[in-house]
Amino acid sequence: MRIRNRFTACMIQIIILSFLFASSLWAADPIVIGVPTSTGFLEGKECLKSVQLAVQEINENGGVKIGNDHRLFKVESLDIRDAAPGVPVPEALLGIEKIILEKKPTALVVGPFRSEALMAGMDIIAKYKVPLLGTIAMSPASEAKIKQNPDKYKYIFRTCLNAKYLVKYLAGTMAFIKGQFGFNKVYIVNQDVAWARKTAEIITKVYFEKAGWEVVGHESFPTGTSDFSSALMKVKATGAHVILPIFDMPQSGTLVKQWNTMQVPSLMAGFISPLAGPGAWNTFDKKIGGAVNCNFEMGSAVSSDKVPLSKTFAAAYEKKWGTKLEAGHGPAPSYESVYILAQAIERANSLDADAIVAELEKTNRSGVMGRIQFDDGHQAIYDMDPDKAALAAVFQWSDTGKRTLVFPTSVAEGKIQLPKGLTAIKE
Amino acid sequence: MFIGTIIYALINSVILTLIAMGFNLTFGISGVANFAYGAFYILSAYATWIMMHSFHLPYSVSVMGSILFTMGLGALMYQLVLKRVRGQAICEVIATFGIGLSILELFRYFGFVGFEYNLPIFIDSSHMILGTYVDMQRILIVIIGIILVLLLWVFTHNTSLGLAFRGIAQDERTALTFGIDSDKIATLAVSMGAGFAAIAATIIIPLGSIFPSDGYDVLIKALAVCIIGGLGSTGGVIVASFIIGFAERFTDTYIGSHWTMIVSLAAILIVLIVKPSGLFGNQKELEERI
Repeated sequence: MRIRNRFTACMIQIIILSFLFASSLWAADPIVIGVPTSTGFLEGKECLKSVQLAVQEINENGGVKIGNDHRLFKVESLDIRDAAPGVPVPEALLGIEKIILEKKPTALVVGPFRSEALMAGMDIIAKYKVPLLGTIAMSPASEAKIKQNPDKYKYIFRTCLNAKYLVKYLAGTMAFIKGQFGFNKVYIVNQDVAWARKTAEIITKVYFEKAGWEVVGHESFPTGTSDFSSALMKVKATGAHVILPIFDMPQSGTLVKQWNTMQVPSLMAGFISPLAGPGAWNTFDKKIGGAVNCNFEMGSAVSSDKVPLSKTFAAAYEKKWGTKLEAGHGPAPSYESVYILAQAIERANSLDADAIVAELEKTNRSGVMGRIQFDDGHQAIYDMDPDKAALAAVFQWSDTGKRTLVFPTSVAEGKIQLPKGLTAIKE
Repeated sequence: MFIGTIIYALINSVILTLIAMGFNLTFGISGVANFAYGAFYILSAYATWIMMHSFHLPYSVSVMGSILFTMGLGALMYQLVLKRVRGQAICEVIATFGIGLSILELFRYFGFVGFEYNLPIFIDSSHMILGTYVDMQRILIVIIGIILVLLLWVFTHNTSLGLAFRGIAQDERTALTFGIDSDKIATLAVSMGAGFAAIAATIIIPLGSIFPSDGYDVLIKALAVCIIGGLGSTGGVIVASFIIGFAERFTDTYIGSHWTMIVSLAAILIVLIVKPSGLFGNQKELEERI
């Protein structure tokens, strides 16, 4: 009888303690993270899932500590469709304003796809003073706007790669190829959209013209193009050693398939978004062997033992969602952004936007992309060493469907292999 | 490079013919401009994918299943929606466009977005033709395209149903006096048009992947070909496909890829100015056509 009473008392105590502990979590409203982005696109879908994963992990570890409270995160998302062809920027802006007014988020993560929407949306974000950690739009113009008027636009941060860093990585890859094989003839093919045209233009000016390369051809393809045979015939005719593709449209994987079936004796090395994830091998009928692709962030569909958290993130994502990451741009910075935000809130000990921004500026976190610190334009700094900065990752598809990291050298697992029919100029 | 351009222009032309044939068949017989055509194209591809990956059916069974499913959906669309608004061109366009939009956006809404959504190629090899490598899938597209055009010709000229199709297409009232049920024929025309969309998707989509937004592109291409060729004319569709197909590839090769769209649109404009009802169209006024 006594034992039973003791057991009952013990159970009551446990229930009361559990209730008290839980009520400390329940007492306060959750901290809302808004995710206004193009969730109908692969990158948007995986960014949202990455945010949800980070939120789940943080909540399972007790949430975010503010004073004596442990506050949970809550995700509210909205498809602003700015990535869809023909959707005007004002429609995307309405979506951003709607989520701010209706869901009252403490901060926004991911944000618009198109830089035009981000640029126009900066005024709305400044008006409502809601910090944004952008993870998709890449134009450095937003940084210039922040530097011009930091008091107004200080709420906007970017954790993904920007166009300048993309050029740095592509130029680095080209220099690496030139050093390894002696190649010096390049044919540029890019999507006919602002960011891709600009990237092609900048890399031509700042790298190819100065580094002794000959740009033997340059083609811009309208979004939606699915036959690249003419460009590939020209590549063959001009004797280009390297094809530099710059595309983020779904149909661009066809370029690599045709490069393979038409047996074009040139090295394909650049950025083609559908080639980023492991599923590309089957999607493109095992015809992408030899292609070198730049994933915009370490952790986004590619991981390395040298950056252990990128492996942890990939495994956690697969466990939660049952699929591997496929998007080479967005997921890793989206996941990181939630942790960066959580740490900034804890340091600020407040949900005040200005206090959070002040702490976000001090971010110095080692995560799935390497070390994250922001510059004075609130852009995460990318370089070649994961201990000092965030990383992008360049890999090559092998003929057996394996992806091998080849650049930067700090995380490289192997050297670039030349496709059949192409030999190095220098040994 | 010239020979290579001709080869790929020929392939491009057959792809355009395949894309436009179903749209043209439906319009030519029932007079319905089926703006859900692009959505049927994508729907059939997703249906094949779902049958293969969710129900683990063999590829051939999945393809047959998706073609029949799409044809059924086309017939259902006519019976439930189009029958009530038939003859009111603007209502037909709005209704079919609305249905198409709903189908495509529902796929997007339910997350059917990603590179895993693709269909397998038929034969994995490539061959050199006159010094240019061409993959087997593209060669098959040309062969299947030619066979389908011939089958359609045989069907419309040598079967009683095909003759009924032509009867309705030529003069619906006179055909009615011969006991041809125009609603039944129109239902079959919409259904067969949807079936052609499904066949086109089965052989063209393996070149890339399935994306909801491609539905809009397919509709625009089908419209462009039919407008140039003359709505309702099978010969016109073939000629227009070759005009656009060759114009696109030769522009790509000798002018620049970013001019491709402009050259295609210019071709449409020139044809509309010179012959407003299209190269082989019977209607005289532009507004009579859509």
